[in-house]
Amino acid sequence: MAAFRRATPQLLVTARKIIEQTNRSSSCARWMSSITAATGSTDIDKKEGEHKGITISVPEKVDISCITGVPEEHVKTRTVRIFVPAVNSMQSGTFNARRWRMEFDERERWENPLMGWCSSGDPLSNLEVNFTCKEDAIAFCEKNGWDWFVEEQKKPKKMKKSYGANFSWDGRTRVSTK
Amino acid sequence: MATPRIVQQGVKQVKPLMSVDRTEARRRVLNLYKAWYRQIPYVVKDFYLPITVKMGRDKVRELFLKNKHVTDIRNIDMLVIKGQMDLVETANIWKQRNHVMMFFKDTVNPKPTDFLSKFYEGQE
Repeated sequence: MAAFRRATPQLLVTARKIIEQTNRSSSCARWMSSITAATGSTDIDKKEGEHKGITISVPEKVDISCITGVPEEHVKTRTVRIFVPAVNSMQSGTFNARRWRMEFDERERWENPLMGWCSSGDPLSNLEVNFTCKEDAIAFCEKNGWDWFVEEQKKPKKMKKSYGANFSWDGRTRVSTK
Repeated sequence: MATPRIVQQGVKQVKPLMSVDRTEARRRVLNLYKAWYRQIPYVVKDFYLPITVKMGRDKVRELFLKNKHVTDIRNIDMLVIKGQMDLVETANIWKQRNHVMMFFKDTVNPKPTDFLSKFYEGQE
């Protein structure tokens, strides 16, 4: 019987249906209708019109880590750093610094013995998510149950530059020649 | 590096997934639990699992209780939907034997906790 079952799953299904039809009362849990009805989904189909337009009140901030499918060890043990990426030091543009990014704490990395490439067992290591403001990033972390901390943005001090200042009679410019 | 968590700011109105109140959500959870409970003997028999019916039911109970801290109605509904899908996949034998046995994690080595075993494993 075991070999038969493994070899012909299609046959098995039809055979099971026939058996089920005969022993309907004894094996009622095997009926799909009773399984799908278990959570009341058939009720819902009936009540579809009834539920239309109904809203429920829920807390504004909800932790969805139980339904995201992220393994527990990557929810409870991870810390997120929320920061503004550094600007490209070779250019004067500030494009990088206009967004907030989240990054997870670093896990073990090692050099692959075969090719010398960098390996890591951490599924979240290459995750790169950008946000327009840090509040969004914080809300996202809260929602997913991660610990977080914010590295505040360091704004560069603007220096006043003018050609005329080089010849100023009272400013402390061009100190070496005075 | 502990940051003060954002304070709960109040409630909002949303569309329900299935249930409109806690009682209904609870009823769905219990119904799903019962369906799993009744299905376990067939699961054990159909998949030739090397476990007893009691072990299977204990596992179902454990997996349900793992989410007992969930209070949000929509989260509960989504968990019920996922559990329902899992049940249907198991009942129809769309799964294979190892997929069912994965709930028991008996091939997963527990992660080392003390210093020396971590060293032997090659971790930090």
